[in-house]
Parts: sequence; C-alpha cells; structure tokens
Amino acid sequence: MSKPSTIVIGGGATGVGIARDLAMRGVDVTLVEQGNLTHGTSGRMHGMLHSGGRYAVTDQHSAEDCMTENRILRDIASHCVEMTGGLFVQMPEDDDEYFQQKLEGCRECDIPVEVLSAEEVLEMEPYLSEDLERAIQVPDGAIDPFRLCVANAVSAENHGARIETHSEVTDLLVEDGEVVGVEVEHKSGAGSRVHGNEGETEAIYADHVVNAAGAWAGEIGAMADLDVEVIPAKGVMTIMNVRQVDMVINRCKPRGNADIIVPHETTAILGTTDEEVEDPEDFPEEKAEVDFLIEEMSKMAPILEDARTLRSYWGVRPLYEPPGTGTEETEQITRNYFVLDHDERDDTPGLTTVVGGKFVTYRKMAEDCADHVCGRLGVDTECRTADEPLPGSEDGAILSDAMDRYGLRSPLARRNKQRLGSRYDDVLSGADPNPVVCDCEGVTRAEIRDAIESAGTDLNSVRQQTRASMGTCQGGNCSHRLAAELHPEYDEEAARAALEELYQERWKGQRHALWGEQLDQATLNHALHASTMNRDRDPTDVSVDFESFDAGRAVADGGESDGD
Amino acid sequence: MSKQAESETFDPVDLFPDATEMDLRPGVDKCDKNGNCETVCPVAEVNEDFPGPKFQGPEQWRLTRKGDIEFDESVDKCLNCMRCDTACTNDVPLGQMHNVARANYVKNQKSHASREYLRNKMLANYGTLGKLGSMMPRISNTVFGLGATRWLNEKLLGFPSERSFPDFATQTFRGWWSDRGGDATSTERAREAREARGETGEDKKVAFFHGCYANYHQTEVAKSMVRLYESLGYEIAVPEQSCCGTPMFANGMLEDARGVAEGNVDTFGSLVEDGYDLIATCTSCSMALRKEYPELFDIDGIEDVASHMFDAVEYLRVNEDLEAELAGADVDFPAMTYHAPCHGEVMGVEGIVTELFADVDGVELEDTGDVCCGLAGTYGWKAEKYDDSMEIGAEMFEAFEEAPGEVALTECPMCSAQIEHGTGYEVKHPMELLETALVES
Repeated sequence: MSKPSTIVIGGGATGVGIARDLAMRGVDVTLVEQGNLTHGTSGRMHGMLHSGGRYAVTDQHSAEDCMTENRILRDIASHCVEMTGGLFVQMPEDDDEYFQQKLEGCRECDIPVEVLSAEEVLEMEPYLSEDLERAIQVPDGAIDPFRLCVANAVSAENHGARIETHSEVTDLLVEDGEVVGVEVEHKSGAGSRVHGNEGETEAIYADHVVNAAGAWAGEIGAMADLDVEVIPAKGVMTIMNVRQVDMVINRCKPRGNADIIVPHETTAILGTTDEEVEDPEDFPEEKAEVDFLIEEMSKMAPILEDARTLRSYWGVRPLYEPPGTGTEETEQITRNYFVLDHDERDDTPGLTTVVGGKFVTYRKMAEDCADHVCGRLGVDTECRTADEPLPGSEDGAILSDAMDRYGLRSPLARRNKQRLGSRYDDVLSGADPNPVVCDCEGVTRAEIRDAIESAGTDLNSVRQQTRASMGTCQGGNCSHRLAAELHPEYDEEAARAALEELYQERWKGQRHALWGEQLDQATLNHALHASTMNRDRDPTDVSVDFESFDAGRAVADGGESDGD
Repeated sequence: MSKQAESETFDPVDLFPDATEMDLRPGVDKCDKNGNCETVCPVAEVNEDFPGPKFQGPEQWRLTRKGDIEFDESVDKCLNCMRCDTACTNDVPLGQMHNVARANYVKNQKSHASREYLRNKMLANYGTLGKLGSMMPRISNTVFGLGATRWLNEKLLGFPSERSFPDFATQTFRGWWSDRGGDATSTERAREAREARGETGEDKKVAFFHGCYANYHQTEVAKSMVRLYESLGYEIAVPEQSCCGTPMFANGMLEDARGVAEGNVDTFGSLVEDGYDLIATCTSCSMALRKEYPELFDIDGIEDVASHMFDAVEYLRVNEDLEAELAGADVDFPAMTYHAPCHGEVMGVEGIVTELFADVDGVELEDTGDVCCGLAGTYGWKAEKYDDSMEIGAEMFEAFEEAPGEVALTECPMCSAQIEHGTGYEVKHPMELLETALVES
C-alpha cells in the first residue's frame, strides 16, 4: 500500500506550511517552487508578527486569527520571532472616537491591550514625535519570513517530503478532466540547486495537487482553464539602517498607507502602500512611493526624515474575495483566506487552491487546506503543526556558556543564538577557526557553511538564512567573502557566478536608496570591487593560478616568509 | 566634527539624563565601513584579539536592541586615545560610542568587588589620590619609590612594578599660586606687560584648567605657562576645580565623570560669562572639556564651556603672532625631539611647535611622527596591560632613538611619563620652551 501523494505548488509560507502539515500526517509530499523559498510574497512581507490590532475594527475575523496564530508562533517558532510589543499611536490630528473603537475592537478580538500616556510612550520610544497624544499597547512583534519558511521546509523534509526549488511549473497535467500532476522545468544553477538535469523538464504525478502559488495562483489555475481571480496589490517597504524604535509602531487611524514601522533584526522597516497592479512580476517601482513613505512616517518619528535608508522593496499581496463582492479599494479587501475546491466549484477534481490570507495566519491556512486535502485522500490523521516546535525552536534553553566555548563576542553570540535557536550548538561547533565573515550583521563562518550545505551556490538563500550581506554596506565588504566560502567544494567559476548574482541582487534594492549616506556607500562599494578585484572589467577571461599563492611568498633565501 | 552638523543629525544627550542609557544607534548611519579607524588603532596593531574601533563603535551599537545590556568586554581594552575618532572621514561619533559602551560594560557586567575594579577606581579618581600624596610630598615620594612598595602595589593592586610613580612636587602649583598673590597678582603683572607692549585690551583674560598633573607633579609646566601668558599681557584666573574626568572616561566610570563635569562646567561656565577664555596645558584635560563633556553629558552651559576651551599652545597660536614674537630670538637649547600626543591631535596642536621653531636659531627640533606612546593615561599603569603598553610605545621609543635630540618635548604629562620610562630622556613641555625663548631671552 503506497502512501497517498500530493504536489504543493509554491514555496512561500503557505506552501511550506501545507507541505509540513501533510508530511506530518503521513502524506507523500513534493513541493515545487519557481525560485528559492520565499521567492514571492513571503520574502517581501513587512516582517511583522501581527497581533491583529490593525484589523480589530474592520476585519475582526482576520484579527482573531492573527491573535491566535501570534500565540502559536511564539511557541513553535521562537527563533523566528522577536516579541517587541507594538503601539497604536494617536497623533493630534487623529480621531478620539477611532481610538476608542480600536481599543474596544481589540478587546472583542481577545487582543491584550493597555493604554499608555504620551510620557510613558516617549520613555519607551524616545525617537517618536513629542506631539503624540497617547497610545494603545498590543502584542505585535517581528518575524523572520526566511527563517520560518526554511524551518518549515526542513521539518517537511524530516518527515519525508521532497522540496524542489528553482523548478517552475510549466503546465498542469490533466487527464479525463482531472488534475493528475504537474510539469516542471528545472532551472540552471550549480550545486544543490540542480535537481534532475539543468533545463530538463520533469512530469510529476500525484493523487492531489495544491495550488498555493499566491500571486501566481491565477496563472496556475489557467493551466487547467480554471478561473482563480487573485487581485495582486503592491506595497512598498523601505529598510532603515538602524533600529530607531524597538517596538512595532502603528498609526492609530483607519487602515491606510504608510502607517507602520517594524523593528526587524538590526533594521527598522517602514511600510507600506496598497495599490492594485496588473502583473505580479512586472509593475512600476517608483521613487515617489518611497518618498511618500518616509514623509508620512516622519510625522510619527521625526528622526526618520534624515535617517539612512538601505534599500526599498515591493511586495505583491495575493488578495482574494469571492466573485461578486466588488470592494472598491484594495486596502478594504478582507485579509481572510479561502480554500477553493475545484471539484465542487469547477468540476475539476484533483486540485485545491488556497488564496488570500496573511503571512501570520499561514499555519492556520495550511491546516484548513491540509484538512480538506486529507478529506479528499481519505487520510484521517490529526494536524500537529500547532503543537510541534519547528526545527530550531525545540528547546528554549539559552546556552549561555556556548558564548565562551566558541569564543564569540557578546553581541555576536547573542545574535547567533537568536538566529539559530536550538541549532546553535550544532552549527557553531562546525567551524574552527570561526571568524566573522559579515561584519555588519555579525555572521560567522560556521553559520555561512551551515547555510551553504542546504543552499549550495545560491548565496541569496545563504543570505536569507543568515542575514549576511543584509547590513549597512549591503555586501560591499562581505559578498566576496561569502563566495570564497564556496571553495573548494565549488570551483572558481561557480564562486564568481554566485558572487555576481548576490552582488546584483543587493544592488537592485539599493537603487531605491541612492542619496545621502547610502549613495556614498554604493560608490565606495563599487570602487572597492573595481579597484581591488577588477570586477568592473571581466576578470573571468583571465586565468589566475590561485594555488601558487597558497604557499605564501617566496623570499630571497629560498625559505618561506611568514609575513610581517 | 562640526558642532552644527552633529546637532542636525541627532542629539541623544538631550533625551537621556543618565549617560549610560544613551541610545547611540542613529550615529551608526554615518559609518560607511571604510576601515580608516581600524588602520590607526594602536591596540589592534599589537593585540590580535582586539576587534578594533569599528566593531566596538558602530557595529556593536547597531547590533544592540533595547534591553540588551551586554557590551563586549574588549571595550575595556580600548585606550580612549581617540585616534579612530580623528581618523574617521564620516564623523562617526566613535569616541562617544566607545565611552558609553565602556560605561555600560563597567556598570552592568564587571564585578565591582574585584581587585581590578578597586584599582581602576583609584586610577580613575587620581585627583583624590594626588591630593593625599601631595599633602606630604617627600614622604609620599620615598614610600612610593621603595622597591617593597612597588612589589606590594603589583601584588595587591595590579600596578606594574616596572613603573615608578611620578614624584610629587614639594609645593603644589596652587600653593605656589596663592603664595604669589593669586589672581590679583596676575591681573597686575598682565597690566604691566600690556603697558610695556603698548596694548590696552582688557579682554586678555584666561582661566587656567591645570588638572591634576600640573598641580601635583609637573608644576614647572604650569608656572612657565603663567609667566609666558602674563608676559604677553594675559590676566590669569585659577579657580577651584576638580579633575577633568579623563581617567574616569577611560575606566568606564561615567557617573564619577559626570560629578566632576558638573562642578567644572559650573565654575568655568561663569568665568566664560565674565569674558574669560579657558586654557589647559594638558591636552587630555582640554579635550575632555571641549569634546567629551558635550558628547556625554547634558549640563546647562556645557556648550559655552566647550567652545571656549583651548590648549595653551593652540590658544597662543590663534591669538598671538608668535612668529613675530620669536623673530630674532636666540635660544640656547639642547637638540629636542617632539612627540604629539593622541589627544593633542584631537585638539589640533600637533605640528604647531615644530613649525614655530623651524626658523629659530639655536633650536633643533624633530618630530617622532604619527605614533601613540602607549601609556594612554591610566592604561599603562595596569600590570596586565603593561606589555601591550610598551609594545604600542615601541615605535615611538625607536623614533627617539633615531632622532638627534637628547631632550623630549610633548604637551601630555602621561606621554612624558612613558617617554621617561622608555627612553630615560628628560621631558619638557612646549610652554617651557616658549617661556625660555620669549620671556627669559
């Protein structure tokens, strides 16, 4: 008796959540993702662990889900979450009545609240505007989408799932009106990025297919002539160089644009906007959107006006509302999620689509979707994803002596612990010596090597897992060091290609921050790479005999110099 | 760093009454990681376990979250020489970041019951120690000079037995000043000098921050300054004062430093209001009042004190035509070798003396160049840091060895202690040289 099998399309939070859930219930799962994990919306979210407070007035169902999942994630994904706490700040021009509605709404949705005076708020967050009136404290936090998705994928693999990244679905396989599998094209790339052979097409068959492609769900549906009306709505986020605030700061006014600051790791992320776009992969990214964000946020936190930004990025929400709802503004569309049974809906069995929802509610979406699929497959195992901690969060014990054992400086040790959670010991014992490779984020060689084991030459995936190259200099001082860690397992050519890919990705986001200090930084980075590594030319044409350098410099007496 | 540029970006001292709760993260925005600071750090050069100023300043601050009280212990090995602060091309407030991080570390992470802490507390509060020692200078000198005392000091308190304590002057500078008739005498002598020079100006008034060393040990430096300034027509006031706080900054004892700063700002602030400029013969004292006070404390009147604080050499350079004064001077001085203190570089005095005397007959003066002496105030007085201190100083000792001079010249009393210890040279202060050239000849 072979296990029932399922293909999950999409390696975002929802997809990996479903893969983990089904794999834990004994289903044979294959997940396919066109890029790396979190390639789509999940990798471009705000980094916020919602309490639900934002939706407590107008979208209470979402708000309640947020709060429930917020509690669960603190439990099962402690190494991905920072419980910063959050504030809804009332400015002088904000409505008293709305403040009251927010307060009551939160209470109705079981969100713990506390009202704070202006003095109390400024004592906690001295860089906020002195004009503020008061605030409501809620349990908002910060969450790392990359770490969370990777942990879900690892857990799924531990339960026997197959995770295929860089594999684009080119067609749904339909036989007798039933979806029976997918056709994927494996993209190129070295190391563990190659599955099957580069560029080859593979047909994968399964008992059931789940479409969790988010903003691309409509395109996937269309492959079987199905109508899934996802409304892609873009939003811009701007990353500041430092944490000006240590709590999530929301503006206490009806849901609008540019009203949240999230302290995320070493940065603060400003967001966001909400605007429908035609194509989730091709939409305008305008400087005016960034300017608007900074201008609006400076009203709450004046220090932001002249603060340094590192980059900006845009995400596309895959919003969904049942046909015929007809909401005018995308920001008013519900953040609820929907599981679409195409057998019932379109007489096309074998396919389930899950759309809408929020990052924070990914686990609940996955649970409902997996329940539905298991019903179709005749599997009657219970969901366990809310009770079993993800890899890295199994044990909350802090290993304080490890700092001394691995000779790490205190802020680095602390960061390492926060990033690695319970894997801390395993990872750090894997490299000696263990120098800091990325200075800005305090990432050591052991972490880089650990990430390379799973990501191969995909340095962007290494970056997402470790935060290396995500700091002040945006890889100017460490991207080549990261690439060097690929050697000797990968050859020079592969390392160079990986370096170039990472460097270009870092450049992409900085294009939206090229003024003031970040313009200086980009100029310096370019000059450093051009003048010390000849990277503004084409060094790959030149064959360098690197090995002859390994023995050190020959000196006159024929011995080896020990340097100076 | 331009004061204006600084206040436009952020001014955390306004927000945090307790200096050790300052949030300096926004200052990280200026750092572009170019590494200039790392190339000039004397400790990083001799100690490969020392992560250097970029890590200890901007990187460490950026990695900090509210509620994180841990700072890396290596900040305790920083000299507070400020070379990184001077070298930074982007005005990153490195000195401020290191000072606050060190204060946090000492306050929250260091055992306050250890021998080391007690010794650091003594060093940091040298003003008090000096006061006691100078009450019975001859006995103190004898006792401190005994081999047995030095051995005990190392064993009990961790002072390096290799170093001999500086001798106490038999009479403090303040004692000499009041015997001489205090401020009134100075006013009179300056008036006479102005008449002789054909000047009228009543605005030639300076208040002297003598600090600990010129008062208890190198009183000759202070006396030379007095005679020189008076001969140029300056009325000098010597108010009651505390230690400037430099050794407290360097030992992470910001609360002690705040105490002395409040007193000094109060005293010297009212003198500034009365039209006095402020001078010091020690570059660490002048740097403390000009740079560190306003960076670390929010005290009423602090900016006025800071903007009127000068090094004694620098002040004359700015306000007098010293070349003209020196023209025709004929000085018979042995050949000298000049060493610019790190804090002198912050104050902008390096090069002034060598430039001034370049064309003066009878003076041969060579510069040791851009090196740190390694004593760094209290750093070299700690047994566990003695070796590093001497290794940092090695380059300077070598420069003295190679230069023709037999006498050393420097503005900083601690550099002079290190020069004496490492080379055996007699050490003079530029004030003494200028007095010889302008007053005695």
